[in-house]
Amino acid sequence: MFRKILIANRGEIAVRIIRACRDLNISPLAVFSEADAAALHVRMSDEAYCIGAAASTESYLNIKKIIEVAQRASADAIHPGYGFLAENADFARAVTDAGLVFIGPTPEAMKVMGSKTSARRAAIAAGAPVVPGTTEALKSFEEARELAEKFGYPIMLKAAAGGGGKGMRQVASESELRSSLEAAQSEAAAAFGDSEVYLEKIVEKPRHIEIQVFADVHGNYVHLGERECSIQRRHQKVIEECPSPINDADLRQRMGAAAIKIAQAVNYVGAGTVEFLFSDVTRDFYFLEMNTRLQVEHPVTELVTGFDLVCEQINVAAGAPLSFTQDDVRWNGHAIECRVYAEDPDSSFLPSPGRITFLRVPSGPGIRDDSGVAQGDEVSIHYDPMISKLAAWGRTRSEAIDRMRRALDEYAVGGIKTTLPFFREIVRDEDFIAGKLDTGFIPRFQERRARQSERGHPARNEREARTERHIAIIAAALDYSDAQRSLRAGNHHVPQSKWRIAARERAVRQTTIRKSVFE
Amino acid sequence: MKLHAAIAGIETDVEIRREADRLHARVGDVEYQLNARQTGPGSYLLISDGHVFDCRVEGSTESGAPLAVFVGTRSFEVTLADPKRLRGSQDPSAHDDGAARIVAPMPGKIVRVLAEVGAQIEAGAGVVVVEAMKMQNEMKSPKAGTVSAVNVEVGATVNGGDVLVVIE
Repeated sequence: MFRKILIANRGEIAVRIIRACRDLNISPLAVFSEADAAALHVRMSDEAYCIGAAASTESYLNIKKIIEVAQRASADAIHPGYGFLAENADFARAVTDAGLVFIGPTPEAMKVMGSKTSARRAAIAAGAPVVPGTTEALKSFEEARELAEKFGYPIMLKAAAGGGGKGMRQVASESELRSSLEAAQSEAAAAFGDSEVYLEKIVEKPRHIEIQVFADVHGNYVHLGERECSIQRRHQKVIEECPSPINDADLRQRMGAAAIKIAQAVNYVGAGTVEFLFSDVTRDFYFLEMNTRLQVEHPVTELVTGFDLVCEQINVAAGAPLSFTQDDVRWNGHAIECRVYAEDPDSSFLPSPGRITFLRVPSGPGIRDDSGVAQGDEVSIHYDPMISKLAAWGRTRSEAIDRMRRALDEYAVGGIKTTLPFFREIVRDEDFIAGKLDTGFIPRFQERRARQSERGHPARNEREARTERHIAIIAAALDYSDAQRSLRAGNHHVPQSKWRIAARERAVRQTTIRKSVFE
Repeated sequence: MKLHAAIAGIETDVEIRREADRLHARVGDVEYQLNARQTGPGSYLLISDGHVFDCRVEGSTESGAPLAVFVGTRSFEVTLADPKRLRGSQDPSAHDDGAARIVAPMPGKIVRVLAEVGAQIEAGAGVVVVEAMKMQNEMKSPKAGTVSAVNVEVGATVNGGDVLVVIE
């Protein structure tokens, strides 16, 4: 087993990996940028080294520097987390070349799955269903026009090197095709340095369902069932669940088998996720892509299966066989995760950086919060604004929703805006409670909200609303009167640390002594 | 303590009086007898007739921006005005460069501009009159000098913190 692991990441995922290291009696080594010098992941580590300036290209993406630190501090392995260098095949190779273990799949598997076109080819070869479309980059507008005609509109244009919704364009009819193709190509070139774009038929009102797979170096493959990630905005997930509200054991079995075949096709090792689109209408599923890393939403699978995916990743990377077989995998209850972002849901999810002046984290039965921040921390403009992942487990989906609602109401973050108020509304939404989910959920939810606020909130009693307004005014007045009182009192009434007083007394004494020497 | 408050487009008077943990409050014509305890910086636990209100106040009235007040999970924007402090005693907002910036204490409307660019004025001279929450407030120059900028005109709406006049 490893003695020391370097964690090439920051925020909540670095904290999550540190916890796994502690469970396994491995010493965690953090790296940090100048902006993260006092970050939570640094405070929780045994060793920590600064690897550069705040901009991630200077620090968390600096391959050379990270490997240099790992060697100097004699780490045995590197865990990349997700994002940053997690799916960078060159990084994985550089780690191995330096004589260290990369906790993740081989660079070869990452390369195949890193390009959406080669991933589609691999999935087709493995016999998995794919969304009708091209496996090669489009060569011309003419080719795009013919293929779109063949599959039928609407179609989707996607960047081969894509991710995070960049280089994606939905095309409703032929008249939009030329401009959309050009836009997708230039966006892809700008974002990924690769203008390759391919074409897919659009599955209408799809659910986004993914299968967690795991493999070891001894040729064992298992799947841990599905996660439903249909609730997305800007093609980014915000709420995930395990299992899907569809909860169909036969479907899980078929999707799991397809996912394992795809993983086997690239000799996959470690934790991976195979994403599918699922149509409620036809009950067909189609391969979308494979993520060759630990997913943000892994906690919901952990809560329902009981396995620790990060510890399992580390064990497998150390050469051990998987600690469980397919027959050991049981799905118990239901888990839901909300990604808490430092964003303002009332101004189209604009990032809301700043200092966290107050933090109250929920707990109690069935609640888990994977956070990367503490009270007093600064949410920086340089990185992803996700501050924590709040997960709830219950015996049924309905119990999990009840617990999530309670936890969201307990959660309080001061100083910055967060997506918490938005989630508080979603868990009370009829369609969400009914499990009517697809990737168009958020736009529809926002429309329902807008209609509701036009009509006002009829559900709330006007007398209660007035009392709350009055209480808010009284609290504000109380705070103002306190501020005035402490201004009048001046600073000398502020209780001071005894250490500070002692230090000052000593300094005064020393000055006196020095003075007497000079005199 | 008597204050003016604005919340959700409604303006009202508020009066609070404290006796240890007891808080007597009147908002408009509604009276409240509360149990009030400070639970942390800006955090207050208010209990009114057995109803619990866990409150938190962010920001300060000095900044000019509205306060963000959380009552349980609900949030409100509250603007306070202290009639005692508004009349006269303006903070001399002198900057390092020696220029004095006259800043709007809260959102309001400009009702009069008394200074012209280039004019020599004495310390304490009125430069602009802002109306906020039905009160007119004459903003005075904290120092003698030359008016180097007048950023507003009569009738303009200003936000708390906006620089109205600069004196050098």
